[in-house]
Amino acid sequence: MSVRPLRQVPDRNRLRVLPGKRLRKPTIAPWMIMAMIGVVAFLGLGFARTSLDRSAFELAELDKAINEQIAINRALELEIARLENPARIAPLAEEMGLVAPETTNQLLVDLEPTSPVVADAGTEGQNQ
Amino acid sequence: MAATKAARKVNRSKLRIALIGLLVVAAWLGMAYRLVQIQVVQAAELAEQGLSQRFVSRDLAPQRGKIFDRNGELLALTVESQSLYAVPGQVEEPVWVAQQIGGLLDVDADTLLDRLNSDQKFVYLKRQVDGVLAEEILSLGVRGVYSLPEPKRIYPAGIVASHVAGFVDIDGVGQEGLELIYDQDLTGIPGKAEFERSLSGEVIPQGYTRIVPAVPGVDLNTTIDLPLQYQAQQSCVDAVERTGSASCWVVALHVETGEILAMTGAPGFDPDLRQTVDVDCDAAEDPPACRAFSNFVVRGILEPGSTQKLITVAAALEEGEVGIGTTIPQVADELELLEDACRSSDDEVHGCYRDFNEHETQDMTVAQIFTQSSNIGTIKVAERIGQDRLVEYIEAFGLGSRTGVDYSAEAEGILRFDAGCETCWASAAIGYSVAVSPLQMAAAYAAIGNDGVWTTPHIVASTTDVDGDTEVAGFETRKVVSETTAQLMRELLASVVESGTGQGASVPGYRVGGKTGTANKLGEDGRYTDETRASFVGMAPIDDPQVVVAVVIDSPDRRFRTGGLAAAPVFSEVMEQALHRLGATPDGRG
Repeated sequence: MSVRPLRQVPDRNRLRVLPGKRLRKPTIAPWMIMAMIGVVAFLGLGFARTSLDRSAFELAELDKAINEQIAINRALELEIARLENPARIAPLAEEMGLVAPETTNQLLVDLEPTSPVVADAGTEGQNQ
Repeated sequence: MAATKAARKVNRSKLRIALIGLLVVAAWLGMAYRLVQIQVVQAAELAEQGLSQRFVSRDLAPQRGKIFDRNGELLALTVESQSLYAVPGQVEEPVWVAQQIGGLLDVDADTLLDRLNSDQKFVYLKRQVDGVLAEEILSLGVRGVYSLPEPKRIYPAGIVASHVAGFVDIDGVGQEGLELIYDQDLTGIPGKAEFERSLSGEVIPQGYTRIVPAVPGVDLNTTIDLPLQYQAQQSCVDAVERTGSASCWVVALHVETGEILAMTGAPGFDPDLRQTVDVDCDAAEDPPACRAFSNFVVRGILEPGSTQKLITVAAALEEGEVGIGTTIPQVADELELLEDACRSSDDEVHGCYRDFNEHETQDMTVAQIFTQSSNIGTIKVAERIGQDRLVEYIEAFGLGSRTGVDYSAEAEGILRFDAGCETCWASAAIGYSVAVSPLQMAAAYAAIGNDGVWTTPHIVASTTDVDGDTEVAGFETRKVVSETTAQLMRELLASVVESGTGQGASVPGYRVGGKTGTANKLGEDGRYTDETRASFVGMAPIDDPQVVVAVVIDSPDRRFRTGGLAAAPVFSEVMEQALHRLGATPDGRG
């Protein structure tokens, strides 16, 4: 005869669920999110400000360059005007042997007749 | 005992901690108090103070408008220059600096030294110098010498257009000519820049910035033709030399539009230097002679002499009192309107008139009277229309009143007869007792060329603003005589050049008409002198006039004392160039 130990009936009332760590994905705490947002915002603002500053400096440089170009343009306009001044050209032309025409001949084209008529300034009665 | 000691120790520590805490709290309270004081109580005041340190407000000078001729050639523009200045307190060796920089700047070294030794904190060494020269001087590395940019007005045409464009002073304010009368339009509207700057003077990019941009001045598009202006100026310079005269003035008008194509004189002045080119004048002795700034064409008045006869004869023709073939009987070379006037030796007794050349008493047609410029014949013609109607026509032709030309300080002229003056009408008929400007006379002749329609002479055709919008100037016109009268007068003018006193005015290839004028000048005592003002006013081509040119030569030598000898050749040169410039078809009869 075999003896088997008396099996103790567990007291169901004394059983309880122990809180344990649930296996779940690790989460970021809200404060960390807020902190990260804060850091990102700070860095973003800093970056934006730096970019704006850089843009402002670039704009200032561009403005300066535009003004320089305008000044150069004006200087060139002035040079052209001086070069085109008849008071400069006329004596040079004279030195080169150019003279003003003494007579003026105009080619007057009448659409009716077939041949053109030359009006000679020095000849009478040929005006059309 | 030990317990008591330990208890005391603990109490002391607590006391210290309390004290430190108290101090910390006090410090925090102090800081909080200061914070509240700064941020709340004094906030507005301190903000204002801070802003005033950073805040800069500067006027933005508008770009002055340009002046162009009718072909778009520049007569005036503004460029950037450098003004050199010094802070005398910083200059270490003023003598050396004055010598070195004075030589480079062409400024008297002693003058410069006086400035450098002055007590002032800022002295100009020279304003508005060329950028390259300024760079050269700054490269010397002289302590206390700096430069600042400054706009400078330049006149590329120089002396050629000086009597049209005028000039500005060193601060860019119009002083003469178009620069003066259009000063407000050319100047534009100043702007304003408000911004914050750092300690180094740089603009704080994210700081407060407010910019009201300056509105640039408008550009003036004038009616002047620069090559013609040059020809007129050269002809005048040559005429002054040839005739030994004091001055020569020319104006060329477009007949139909009243546009002034050329207006100049000699001696002239360089507007860039603002000084006369007459090197012989002595500013200490005769300042007016050294400042030939004033444009006689617009501002000068003279008794026109025989050029006035155009008005007298046109009035008589228009009123139907005479025709060009009407014979005026018994035209002598002397006429006494007041008894014994010609025999009196008293210069105060008026009423004696003589022709320029002696001749037999003869019957003369109106055409002969005009062609030979007979004073007596013209007075007899004027007698038929009477003083009142003569004055009406003189006024209608715009003599003795401002033309309304867009030029500063235009002369009005003189057209008033003293009460009881019995001979003024006769004097007026032949161009005495009235005073007109060359421009008034040119406009009167242009009315004859324009079939009897008088048009306001003007220099600026339009203005163009910064957006490219163009505003065209308006001008007044009025009918003064009929087309028939105008045409008859043109024929008479042509006969003066073809067979009368103005033969020197002919232009090869064109039929020209005009009238000579020779008027004795009044002396300082109010009596006529032997000096004359010789003039010629005419138009071409006479069958369809396009241009009127008026020439006045002041005090030519005796051998060139008449309009035909002194002024007509100048007219010829200028008119020829004007006709070429306008592309007028030659009529082959010149």
